[in-house]
Amino acid sequence: MDQEPILSVQNLNVKFSLRGKMLHAIRDVSLDLYKGETLAIVGESGSGKSVLTKTFMGLMDQNGWIDSGSILYNGQDLAKFKSEKEWLTIRGKEIAMVLQDPMTSLNPLKTIGMQIEEAIALHQHVTGPEAHKRAVALLSDVGIPEPERRSRQYPHEFSGGMRQRVVIAIAMACNPKILICDEPTTALDVTIQAQILHLIRDLVRKYHLTTVYITHDLGVVANVADRVAVMYAGDIVEIGMAREVFYDAKHPYTWALLSSLPQLGVKGEKLFSIQGTPPSLYQEIKGDAFAPRNPQALKIDFERRPPMFEVSPTHFARTWLLHPDAPKVDPPPVLKRLKQEELA
Amino acid sequence: MVKYVFKRLALSVLTLFIVITIVFVLLRQMPIEGYFDNFEKLSEAQINVKLANLGLTKPIPAQLWDFYAKLFQGDFGTSTRYSVGTSIAGIIAQKAPLSIQMGLMSMALSLLMGIPLGAAMARSKNKFWDKFGTVFIVFINAVPAAVYYIFIQLYGTDWMHISLLFDRTNWITWILPVFSMSLGSTASYAMWLRRYMLDEINKDYVRLARAKGVVSQKIMMRHVFRNAFVPMIQYIPASILYTISGSIYIESLYSVPGMGGLLVDVIGRQDNPMVQTLVMLYSAIGIIGMLLGDLLMAVIDPRISFVKKEGAR
Repeated sequence: MDQEPILSVQNLNVKFSLRGKMLHAIRDVSLDLYKGETLAIVGESGSGKSVLTKTFMGLMDQNGWIDSGSILYNGQDLAKFKSEKEWLTIRGKEIAMVLQDPMTSLNPLKTIGMQIEEAIALHQHVTGPEAHKRAVALLSDVGIPEPERRSRQYPHEFSGGMRQRVVIAIAMACNPKILICDEPTTALDVTIQAQILHLIRDLVRKYHLTTVYITHDLGVVANVADRVAVMYAGDIVEIGMAREVFYDAKHPYTWALLSSLPQLGVKGEKLFSIQGTPPSLYQEIKGDAFAPRNPQALKIDFERRPPMFEVSPTHFARTWLLHPDAPKVDPPPVLKRLKQEELA
Repeated sequence: MVKYVFKRLALSVLTLFIVITIVFVLLRQMPIEGYFDNFEKLSEAQINVKLANLGLTKPIPAQLWDFYAKLFQGDFGTSTRYSVGTSIAGIIAQKAPLSIQMGLMSMALSLLMGIPLGAAMARSKNKFWDKFGTVFIVFINAVPAAVYYIFIQLYGTDWMHISLLFDRTNWITWILPVFSMSLGSTASYAMWLRRYMLDEINKDYVRLARAKGVVSQKIMMRHVFRNAFVPMIQYIPASILYTISGSIYIESLYSVPGMGGLLVDVIGRQDNPMVQTLVMLYSAIGIIGMLLGDLLMAVIDPRISFVKKEGAR
């Protein structure tokens, strides 16, 4: 991993207007994505992980907007992009995406070949038989047998795992620098999940891609990620190298998240689950967003938003527990078992 | 595919048979006064003679048998009241071509107006075209057709400086009846296309196409429009029926010598053989229309297949 950021998010705020109310979906997030790394963004549903990556491609829903902050890529500030013309210089060409549900992310009326060729025509500037040849080669790259025959079939003739391979082939056809995988295995059978993860990992190495995984499956994270960012209520609460976040987590939310791993459950006992619900993003959040669900929350957690404390040069967490004056709170003992039991 | 078509055709014939039989039996339940212009003045004997002449004295199953026996020989019978003694096939052959011509023209026109309007509405949701189209659709559906047909006729002919009535040889007089006839279908095409396109726009494959870097105009044409058009296909042949029902009133408004008003006319006069033939004709058109719709869908949508395929996965 280089230490050179390829994409740099600074103090990003994203808001949505929903039925006349305003929702603050991304709250002052800063994040550097380094060239060649694989970053996993984890967090529960609604924590803003998808929205964050959508802002990189201008794919936010119509009712959402970037309120402030910047997204620096290649000397340009993507947060200032307005027109579709500007975004077309980024979409596919620089950043490509693999969506969650392969059953719906292909056009049912077009052959697999045509859909890959569409991306090839846009980003490799070849059409006709040459584009078709490249599409077939890509299909074979992503592990589809009989690619020539398969390229002339329609999505409904493919299984879910095969379709996800096709979606990955489309992303590869764009020749991107950054690949965003939005829960690429959530909708798949467990047996297929591992295959797809391996495929993505192999392709990422082959094409030297920078990858962002969005997931709430910590097993996936352990498998693929160099770095992990933990999101809660539209904010990154902890970020660090995968082993740092797994074995030396600092934020109470990360502790809670890790404690709920089924691997750590004891047979016969209930699995750990985090009490309460995430805060409403319709209201401004005061202090640490996780405080109301944290039984060990400090008084200051309810009053002032903690800054990002540096744990190591690569590991940061947004919690008052890291303040020099804070009382010493130990992580839940169950997390010690993580170190013994190699994850996944 | 061929097997499927044959199966559907056989079912269509069965449907047709049921429709005709019901209409046939119902017609026989009408009061007999309707068969006479001067019922009160006739003696019982005279009435019975006429009824016997019309073939109405036999039991209904026997009448039905006679009717089908003739029908299978290609004989639709003769008109008994509308134009006594003339063969029905002859009457229809004389009147139908004009109606068919007008009907096809208005169907083409409604596609030409309805599809672009629906697409424009979907593209500019809540902006001008959407609002304009919504007003148009609500107007067409809420205001009785007879009202705006008359307004179109009165103001249209006045504006174009032409006579109120249709003249086959003067093409300008074709415009208003064809236009009026197309309005209903135009509104329904626009309404459904808008709805289906908006459904498609929110689907994942459209998001993926955007993420691929496809220009939104092309996404609309290549991806959204084609997918939205699949369910639309069903409505196109079915709109033949709309056009027929529209033509009934419009043809009488403009005195078009077509067969639009014919059905109403012959029902009023209880011309049973004519009613039966016309109902059969219209049902046949309707049934074939639906069949055509289903077949067209299969042509456009690869997911619909009439044969079992092996190794789909």
